[in-house]
Amino acid sequence: MKLTKEQLLGFYKTMTTIRAFEMKAAELFAAGQLPGFVHLYAGEEAVATGVCANLEQKDFITSTHRGHGHLIAKGGKIDLMMAELFGRSTGYCKGKGGSMHIADVDLGILGANGIVGAGQPIATGAALACKYKKNGAVVVCFFGDGASNRGTFHESLNMASIWRLPVVYVAENNMWGISNNQKNHMNVADIADRAGAYGIPGVAVDGNDVIAVYEAAAEAIKRARSGDGPSLIECKTWRHRGHFEGDPAIYKDPKEQEAWLKKDPIPRLAAKIIELKYASRAELDKIEADAEAEIEAAVKFAQASPIPSPEDVFTDVYAE
Amino acid sequence: MSKVGIIANPASGKDIRRLVAYGTVFDNQEKVNIVRRVLLALAATGVEEVIYMPDYFGIVPRAADGIGSRHRLSMDIVSADIELTGTQEDSYRAALELNRYGVGCIITLGGDGTNRMVAKGCGEIPLLPISTGTNNVFPEMIEGTSAGLAAGVVARGLACKPPAIHPTKKLVIYKNGIPVDIALIDAVILKDTFVGSRAVWDAERIRQVVVTRGEAHNIGISSIAGVLEPVGVMEERGLVMEVDQGEANLLAPIAPGLVEPLRVKDYRRIELNEEIKVTDVPCLIALDGEREIEVREGDEVKIKLTFDGPRVIDMRTALREAALRGCFRGDAVAKHVRRLKEEV
Amino acid sequence: MKQMTYAEAIRDGMRVEMKRDPNVLLYGEDVGIFGGCFGVTAGLFEEFGPERVIDTPISETAIAGSAVGAAAAGLRPIAEIMFIDFMGVCMDEILNQAAKMRYMFGGKAKLPMVVRTPCGAGMSAAAQHSQSLEAWFTHIPGLKVVMPSTPADGKGLMAAAIRDDNPVIFIEHKQLLAVPGEVPEGEYVVPLGKADVKREGSDVTIIAWSWMVQKALAAAEALAAEGISAEILDPRTLVPLDKEAILKSVGKTNKLVIVHEAVKTGGFGAEIAALVCEEGFDLLDAPIKRVTAPDTPIPFAPVLEGAYLPNEEKIIKAVHDLF
Repeated sequence: MKLTKEQLLGFYKTMTTIRAFEMKAAELFAAGQLPGFVHLYAGEEAVATGVCANLEQKDFITSTHRGHGHLIAKGGKIDLMMAELFGRSTGYCKGKGGSMHIADVDLGILGANGIVGAGQPIATGAALACKYKKNGAVVVCFFGDGASNRGTFHESLNMASIWRLPVVYVAENNMWGISNNQKNHMNVADIADRAGAYGIPGVAVDGNDVIAVYEAAAEAIKRARSGDGPSLIECKTWRHRGHFEGDPAIYKDPKEQEAWLKKDPIPRLAAKIIELKYASRAELDKIEADAEAEIEAAVKFAQASPIPSPEDVFTDVYAE
Repeated sequence: MSKVGIIANPASGKDIRRLVAYGTVFDNQEKVNIVRRVLLALAATGVEEVIYMPDYFGIVPRAADGIGSRHRLSMDIVSADIELTGTQEDSYRAALELNRYGVGCIITLGGDGTNRMVAKGCGEIPLLPISTGTNNVFPEMIEGTSAGLAAGVVARGLACKPPAIHPTKKLVIYKNGIPVDIALIDAVILKDTFVGSRAVWDAERIRQVVVTRGEAHNIGISSIAGVLEPVGVMEERGLVMEVDQGEANLLAPIAPGLVEPLRVKDYRRIELNEEIKVTDVPCLIALDGEREIEVREGDEVKIKLTFDGPRVIDMRTALREAALRGCFRGDAVAKHVRRLKEEV
Repeated sequence: MKQMTYAEAIRDGMRVEMKRDPNVLLYGEDVGIFGGCFGVTAGLFEEFGPERVIDTPISETAIAGSAVGAAAAGLRPIAEIMFIDFMGVCMDEILNQAAKMRYMFGGKAKLPMVVRTPCGAGMSAAAQHSQSLEAWFTHIPGLKVVMPSTPADGKGLMAAAIRDDNPVIFIEHKQLLAVPGEVPEGEYVVPLGKADVKREGSDVTIIAWSWMVQKALAAAEALAAEGISAEILDPRTLVPLDKEAILKSVGKTNKLVIVHEAVKTGGFGAEIAALVCEEGFDLLDAPIKRVTAPDTPIPFAPVLEGAYLPNEEKIIKAVHDLF
């Protein structure tokens, strides 16, 4: 597999930007500056980064309630995302959606989603559109282990398989559906096993290794783009934080948490980059500092942005 | 007391070769079914204890749990005492532990990669490998019932000599003078930098191949040897091949469904204990189909062929030998029936 | 003008729009070679081929949800749900996805999609294949709800629904499918949100939609013989609702009877009654009457189903109560 220095450094930039965004969101939420609730992607950055690095602007993704990472990896604008978290009228959704509904249809981001598993049929339909229009675009559907138990999973994978749709289902298995461990919510250990039931390839990869994710996604996306149909990639990963900010995650075994923190995808990539002499520690620190500065600028933009006016409640219900 | 070990790898059969080739998605429920048949057959041979590698899915306990009450097992089934990492390291640690327990043999479920890890820790304990991986040469697709019967007779000392149990070859990889890893079938030098998703399928990346054996019916990189100059399991030699990108001069099934044209520039036999120097650094070395060793500028790597691989049970021969000795007739049967009655 | 049945007219509406716009495609259970469970899509598969008229697996959730995705990605899908009773199976896709996507995204998405589905009792199909659930959808901002009562309206409203950039629930009535009528040929659009006076009158306004328009017209005929002149107003689309037409008619007759086949409690008749009370209380000379199904599931035996359904006699009785 060929991966250039620029690609690896690009992965590092995306992953550290996601991490910085999430840590800032956690801080702002704790300080009471963000309304509603936020679900953070910290720890799972390698999945969105490795997958989306294979996508073009014309390609689509569907995301989840834990969607900030997918949006950033697909090219979403940090300042508009942050403004949305603050509920400002400059935000992606003009303050009407919040963290769980950020979308950028022009970038092919068909939205985060507050309903677990709802992205699966939407991605399937978008893939139907891509196939019908013969525009060479593909769709990536992100969802979690919990969503793999929804009926939407079954109906979507079945439909995509019979119609050979250009869609890649990416199961981010962070092993928790809120507080319910995977062991208790499904009788398979590998979601990839379920692919067999739909007659499509199923692959399990280390979701904390951005290179392994990139490589598997590259093949699945190539397959989808060339008309060979859907596939399922399971990325084994771990959410560093609770289900939402404020969840103390008492259900997690501290030893297991500690073991997974050691497998944090960002230091892993950093070690590889340094070993290959693609960059020094200082240069990586600079990338991180730049990411943090970008997030700070986004916060300033958001805080300086106007709040929506009450009349805005009534607009955007229907297209004229 | 007769004891048998089981190492069933929950992760085998789902790597990227499902996407880039046409490998089967080998789901864990099917591994459970195989182990269930293994357990029933082991019990029938009079094995008293099964020690297994714990895993994140629980293949062996699930297999035991799903056995109907009419077929209750007359043996203890216990987990080896290892801490799970959820990586291939588990297979190695379990093998060490089963070696320590003194099991009569170890049944493995996995591919070449799984058996490579087990081989690092099993010592003299013979293996009975059942294939549940992708492009396997070391383990065979065999029925769990037959595997359980054969493992049982071996563990009970009813079939323990060649050819029922035979030695195998291996490759030892030395990095800067230190043995760092082994391969049971093949070591493939790739012009890659990253371990990534581990599997090997892209013929264009291959530079050099060293094999312990290779037949034309093998699936995987060792099939290249098979179509050039086959090397059998028991032959005291190996083969080294130089691959380049010129016009293809042979066809070989290097991954499931992928019979690929390749160009082998040069090849030659290697003798036991001969060392092959890896000259083309930096590179990546894949062992038994999995990208493993990253070789950087300045590293010195050698590959040595030996006959010190794990001992392996030939299921067919072992069962035939046991049958000829009357193991499934006469007193043995009466004892077995009596035992079952006592349990009820 | 051409004589067509209601089913043929709706099909013609789809056919004309599919010819006009290559981004329109139709899919659902058995809509292909089988022509739809009620024959509404017959011939479209032959005309447009398997790429544009697609049989789906029995997967209502994926049918509705994929319509959302296809619309967001630039198509104008028509998704058929075989019975409105099955909409419960795909309700999240309608309620939380189709209806809200545009608003949640701050107006930066459009979802031009139509969900076609047949409603209504009258064929002993019992409780799971006979309901009138239009009120559910009117309670979800972001959706439009269309219920044609005639062949011409069926065609024209279908064209409007397909051309609309919002998700439209297009509810066809099973009892109307074979009803014939005059239908304009070629492109024909009836705008959404425009009610239609199906019979002019001066003494009482009867608002009815879908199959109940026929019942109301029959009642009006009988009432005319007694000297009561009833105006029959068909809103045609419940969302958007032509409030102006309703208030205008009530302003003329000063009496209002609302007829719908759905059960009474929480039915859309209550919404219209509330509208008239809030915005046209002074126009009324008498209490508003509702003629609806009772608050029970739909029974199977013909005699029970007959007792369940609103009909001409019940409408006439309600009108008599006002005089």
